[in-house]
Amino acid sequence: MRRYEQVYILRPSLSEDQITAIIENTNQLILDDNGAVIYQNKWGMRKLAYPIKKEAQGYYVLCDFASTPGVVSEIERKFRIDDSVLKYLTIKISDAITAEEIEAARSEAEANAVVPETEEAGEDVQADKAETKKTEAKTAGGAAEEKAEAGDKAETEEASETAQ
Amino acid sequence: MAARPQKRLFSRKKVCRFCVDKELKIDYKDQKTLRNFVTERGKIIPRRILGTCATHQRQLCSAIKKARQIALLPYSGNTQG
Repeated sequence: MRRYEQVYILRPSLSEDQITAIIENTNQLILDDNGAVIYQNKWGMRKLAYPIKKEAQGYYVLCDFASTPGVVSEIERKFRIDDSVLKYLTIKISDAITAEEIEAARSEAEANAVVPETEEAGEDVQADKAETKKTEAKTAGGAAEEKAEAGDKAETEEASETAQ
Repeated sequence: MAARPQKRLFSRKKVCRFCVDKELKIDYKDQKTLRNFVTERGKIIPRRILGTCATHQRQLCSAIKKARQIALLPYSGNTQG
C-alpha cells in the first residue's frame, strides 16, 4: 500500500449530484481494491489561475488515500475519459503505509480538519474575491520590498564592475 | 590583481525564512504562502534575492511547480488576479 494525495478539478457547470457521483465513483475504485480513504476535502468552487478547457472556474476536490499503483492508473484513466474532470494531480506521499498508520493518519486528519485556506473554500465567489484582494495588498507590499532589495543588489554589483 | 573591491556595500544579511520560522511549511496547496515567492509575473524568485537555503529553495521550487499544474498559480501572468 502506498499513500497518495490527489487533487482534481471538476467542471463548474456540474450539479451537486453529479459532483457527489464522481467523488463516490472514485472512492469506490479505491475501496474495491482494499484501499482506504484517509480524508477527503471539497475545496469548492475556485478561480483557476489559467483557463482549462475554456473554463475559468473549477470545483476542487482533495482526496488522501492509501492504495496501490494499479488503482491510481485506473482512476487517472477514468479521469482522462471523463469530460467533467478538467485536471488532476496525484502525488505519492509515502511508499508504504500499514493499517495502523492509516488509522493514525485518519485520526490526525480529523483532529486538524482545517482546510488549507478555509476562507477561500467557501462557495460564495464574491466573498472569495474580497479575500484575495486583501492578500493582494499584502503581497504587493512584500513584493515591492523585495524588489527594492533586488535593485540595491544590482546597483552594488554594477558599481563593483565599474570599479574593476 | 589587487584585492577585489567590496562587493556588498549596503546589504542586509539574508536568512532563510523557512529555517527561521519552523511553523512556515512548504505546501503546494497553500497558494497564499507560495505567492510570496513568485514575482507578479509568476516567475519563481531566485535564491540570491530571497535568501532561502538550498534545501528549502528546492522544496519551494517543486511546490510552486505542482501548484502551477493544478492551476493554483499561473505559469505566466498576473499572480495577484
